[in-house]
Amino acid sequence: MDFRFSPEEEKFREEIRDFLDTSVTDELVEEVERGTEIGIGPQTWELMQRMGERGWLAPAFPKEYGGLGATRWQQFLLSDEMTYRRAYPLHLCGVGIVGPTLLQYGTDEQKQEYLTRIARGEIEFALGYTEPEAGSDLANLQVRAERKGDFYIINGQKVFNTGCHFSQYVWLAARTDPNVSKHKGISLMIADMKTPGITVRPLWVMDNDRTNEVFYDDVKVPVKNLIGEENRGFYYILTALAHERSFPTGDLRRTFEEFVEYVKEEGLGDDPLVRQSVAQLATELQALQLLAYRVTWLVENHTSPNWEAPMVKVYLTEFMWRFSNAATEIMGPYGQLRKGSKWVPLVGRIERLYRHAARRNISAGSSEIQRNTIATVGLKLPR
Amino acid sequence: MELSLNEEQEIMKRNAQNFLKKECPTSLVRELAEDDEGFSPDLWRKMADLGWMGLILPFDYGGSEGDFLHLAVLLEEMGRACAPSWYFSTVVLGAQIILEIGTEEQKNRLLPPIASGESIGTLALLEPQSKYNLAKTDTASNKNGDDFFIDGVKLFVPDVHIADWMVCVTRGQGKNGGDPGLNLFFVETKSPGISTTLLKTISDDKLFEVKLDEVKVPAENRLGNEEQEAAQVQKILQRAALAKCAEMVGGAQMVLDMSVDYAKQRVQFKRPIGSFQAIQHHCANMLIDLDCSRYITYYAAWLLSEGIPCEKEMAMAKAFTSEAYIDVARLGQQVHGGTGLMEEHDMQMYFRNAKASALALGNATFQREIVAREMGL
Repeated sequence: MDFRFSPEEEKFREEIRDFLDTSVTDELVEEVERGTEIGIGPQTWELMQRMGERGWLAPAFPKEYGGLGATRWQQFLLSDEMTYRRAYPLHLCGVGIVGPTLLQYGTDEQKQEYLTRIARGEIEFALGYTEPEAGSDLANLQVRAERKGDFYIINGQKVFNTGCHFSQYVWLAARTDPNVSKHKGISLMIADMKTPGITVRPLWVMDNDRTNEVFYDDVKVPVKNLIGEENRGFYYILTALAHERSFPTGDLRRTFEEFVEYVKEEGLGDDPLVRQSVAQLATELQALQLLAYRVTWLVENHTSPNWEAPMVKVYLTEFMWRFSNAATEIMGPYGQLRKGSKWVPLVGRIERLYRHAARRNISAGSSEIQRNTIATVGLKLPR
Repeated sequence: MELSLNEEQEIMKRNAQNFLKKECPTSLVRELAEDDEGFSPDLWRKMADLGWMGLILPFDYGGSEGDFLHLAVLLEEMGRACAPSWYFSTVVLGAQIILEIGTEEQKNRLLPPIASGESIGTLALLEPQSKYNLAKTDTASNKNGDDFFIDGVKLFVPDVHIADWMVCVTRGQGKNGGDPGLNLFFVETKSPGISTTLLKTISDDKLFEVKLDEVKVPAENRLGNEEQEAAQVQKILQRAALAKCAEMVGGAQMVLDMSVDYAKQRVQFKRPIGSFQAIQHHCANMLIDLDCSRYITYYAAWLLSEGIPCEKEMAMAKAFTSEAYIDVARLGQQVHGGTGLMEEHDMQMYFRNAKASALALGNATFQREIVAREMGL
């Protein structure tokens, strides 16, 4: 066993830190922290492009598509350092999901068309999966894609499709064959958000983020935008979900460190109950960090973290909740103050985390769905 | 970063598991637990023949100089087998203190017989008043001529009935008006003035009350040349607490394995109960607890092996693993239903073992206080 980063990795980390020292401004952090309310704002696009120049935005992509061909640990360090500076946009769907899937299943034309632009920070994708009747049961999705000549004609409604108001493209899952069992009739395709017939309406989330309802009304998508084989989409989605399951914890660590400073400065650290609570959180954060290392280590060693990644998802998001709940409790009445209030502690980050954590326990596969996976895949319990 | 055991450690793990399956089945564990003597000289000798007693002792004293990770691997397997505590008492508690505090002469004299398995020992630490606060140690050691005379009552002393010796912690005089120090002695258990009473405990571990009535100990058996600081002794004991974590990880692994097997086999409502989400989520939670415990324990063990300071990480490991093992055992009990409650079933042995282990060497609350202190609170 060895829990150290290699000298090369440490050197890479230093490079990232030097870059972020000069690139991350308060204005940028302010913008990133507005989350999906605005999505990727102008300062964020600029940072992404500057990172893209170095191959750091999509480090896992091969060099020919603007990446670094980086190891998993290099990717880990990049997202870890960036989240620690609060400079990492929450949804980098192009880098995290679209890119890896295209590399595996895309046509040469698709790779040429999209990969380099993703890696340079020029375009972003939104996920178009969830529907009113297809949440945890994603395979039940109903949006239709009927083939007419060189086009698919899309009709139906999506919901909670978060990036659709600021992304140029949507990574769309639609039903191409309604006459087979539900997993086997779904296809994955890329649609340009400017295509006529797409209507995006905002839904405001309790943590100030924005998500959307998206309506498709005779939307024409070229057949060349189909990913892989027709009707194999659900299996590509499962593959891509594994890519989505890397969860950097830098921002959480940073907020926890700031909270510990707050406890010291406010003189709360003499209270045995506070000491117990903070020490417990620190311990859980340590465990979380180690679980996250394991996922990266497995992938680096060519093992798919099929149940280990869901374990991080559960532990991370439930820790977010335990932390924000305990911290707001320790803050007492101040714990309820929002950003902008005169007396708010820690710029209201913990109050917002409390609202945000509730959502994170549900989005991207609820804790219950993750536990199902841990049990059936990790422990091989019968379905 | 490399998160797996190396080949040598893997081999050791496999060998230990196979050995314990054959030589220390739960039927034997149960038999020993029910007997007030509860010792198998045969099993002890076989463990010694494998070189386990000297595993982490230096070559100079007949050991094989393994690092803490080796010890953790072995203890994890012992925890999995719910093996008796003799090994822990002798090697982790007694021998480690002699190694850390003893003079060169004492180490040369006392450690080789431990490494060879000829001598069994333990640690007499706690007292009626002290709970787990060494600064409150009350047992007296008064010097008279060339000898010390120890007077007091020790509690929760493991395995003293089979031990040839015990390391006995007594109150010092204190230096420079600071915290009272401690005097530690190597005491032969056959010495006149020692009487012991077996305590009835949740886990059937052999813990004793030990009365010391003017027990004479030659000055050469005072460990080290001087009084020790209580905080320093506590620091040494934290390594034993981490060793306990490795045992707990093994125990929790066994509980999960048993529970998953049972959930796959047990049919109700015409389905294996493991197909119900209520059971699946119990099992998923057990696996989360187990994996966190394993990594937080091995991370601290690695730091220790590398000589990197890790007071905080050791305390985190014991705080986390103590509560996780209890949770795993409770959920395991729930998965097993009525069957697991029966005395003839192994499940309940681990359930009781979990509580005893969590309370040993600083419970979660005690450890979290260390974490808080190390965080600068």
